[in-house]
Amino acid sequence: MMYTKDEIFQAISTVIDPEVGFNLVEMGLIYDASSDDEGNVKVTMTLSTKACPLHQMILQWVKEAVEKLPNVKDVDIEVVWEPAWNISMADDNVKKALGA
Amino acid sequence: MNSISQDFAPPFKLIAPFFIIGGFFYILSSLAVFLFDVDDLLFSSPAVISFMHLFLLGFVMMTIFGAMAQLVPVVLEVGHFGVELFYAIWPLLLIGTLLMVFGFLYSAALLPYGGMIVLISMMIFVGEIFLTIKKVEKLTLVMSSVLISNTFLFFGIIFGLLMALAYAGTISLDISQMLRAHIYLVVGGYIGVTIMGLSIVLVPMFTLSHSFSLVPLRISISLMSVGVVSVVLSSLFNANALAYLGYFLSFSSLLFYFYIIYIIYKTRPRKENDIYAISLMFSYSAMLVGLVFAVLYFILNEERFMLASAWVFFFGFFGFLITGHIYKIIPFLVWFERFSPLVGKQKIPMLADMIPQKSSQAQFVFSSVGVVLVTIAIVTKSDMLLHGGASFLFIGALAFVRSMLYMINFK
Repeated sequence: MMYTKDEIFQAISTVIDPEVGFNLVEMGLIYDASSDDEGNVKVTMTLSTKACPLHQMILQWVKEAVEKLPNVKDVDIEVVWEPAWNISMADDNVKKALGA
Repeated sequence: MNSISQDFAPPFKLIAPFFIIGGFFYILSSLAVFLFDVDDLLFSSPAVISFMHLFLLGFVMMTIFGAMAQLVPVVLEVGHFGVELFYAIWPLLLIGTLLMVFGFLYSAALLPYGGMIVLISMMIFVGEIFLTIKKVEKLTLVMSSVLISNTFLFFGIIFGLLMALAYAGTISLDISQMLRAHIYLVVGGYIGVTIMGLSIVLVPMFTLSHSFSLVPLRISISLMSVGVVSVVLSSLFNANALAYLGYFLSFSSLLFYFYIIYIIYKTRPRKENDIYAISLMFSYSAMLVGLVFAVLYFILNEERFMLASAWVFFFGFFGFLITGHIYKIIPFLVWFERFSPLVGKQKIPMLADMIPQKSSQAQFVFSSVGVVLVTIAIVTKSDMLLHGGASFLFIGALAFVRSMLYMINFK
């Protein structure tokens, strides 16, 4: 394994949702991440709504953020809608800031 | 992957004229309130008809059409059939609306021309939306609402054109009989159903609320649709029982709609009361007040209560719902076009940073006080309150346009 889940999450944490102002990891939108020795990275994530107009762009930002890790060759992003995202998946600082 | 592409979205330069012109019509609408005469305030008076067309065609429809250019790909998950057609819609709607308003105020001979131009612009819009919907493989509830609302709009403008021709004396028709169908098709059928469908996409998106059932919305849209058809049939066949059935169904529809909005509000994780949130709170409160006035009208049979109901629905409910969403939609569009290419390259603003705090709050305060004062003026027939309220509305409208231009020019 080239990168751990935490290392990939760390890379993705540079991607900010411009509407709420938090990064995707602390929002709880990144469900899983893994990589192999060949430099292939797989990210499983969701979005806060299916109708998100930034859908494609957010995926592109995640891809670019992961590609910044040295020796990453390919990034495969799977968007899933189950389990559906809800605020309980976000970090405490996000919940507190939003008033949830 | 369930992909909903922004690639289908039109450029901001196509959408911006709709919002800017809509904003200026919002100012003109507030000025038109000065023309009201409280002692002769009737649905048929030229000042009231002019105001309604300035507000509904110039502000509400213009802004909704611009928003739909952006939102249709998001909601329908397909690209527009011909997004370039929107370049023709706003100039036609602008000219047609102005001609109609001048026609109502000064020269009825202008009405058929204005009506025809508005008809053409709306037919282009409806045609484009229908052809876009044709590309959708499976209709969801929200997609169905777009189809239903645009069908009502199609028939609503046919009725409107017939009325414009009759008003100018070109054809002979009972205008008062057609008026009920025209208002219901456009206001309840198009604006109402569009708001119901789109708000269920937008409000949860901005409040991050997702734990609610769509059943009340399905009931709400069904009741409003049957209600509108019922009122239209009552106009065509002069059957009052059908009209009352339609009123009852649409009244019930709004209660179900309010219920689902209330659930979204109660379960929203995002509890900050920004300009969007307070605008929506005022908007939906106004909707409830409008319903109360409608009930008073049916109990007491005094036209001032129906006028107050229509006023609160238009400037309170529709007005604040639209201005509230403008504070979300314009920053997003500007950010997307101007700042999204810079993500990861330099520090860029968040969407909230693009909203001018002072002018947006001034708009909310002045406009809400204006709505309340004019409502009281209509009910109490007070000329002084009416002019005071109109002054507040005018300042609020100026602050709104100032906020809008600030967001559009944000660098």
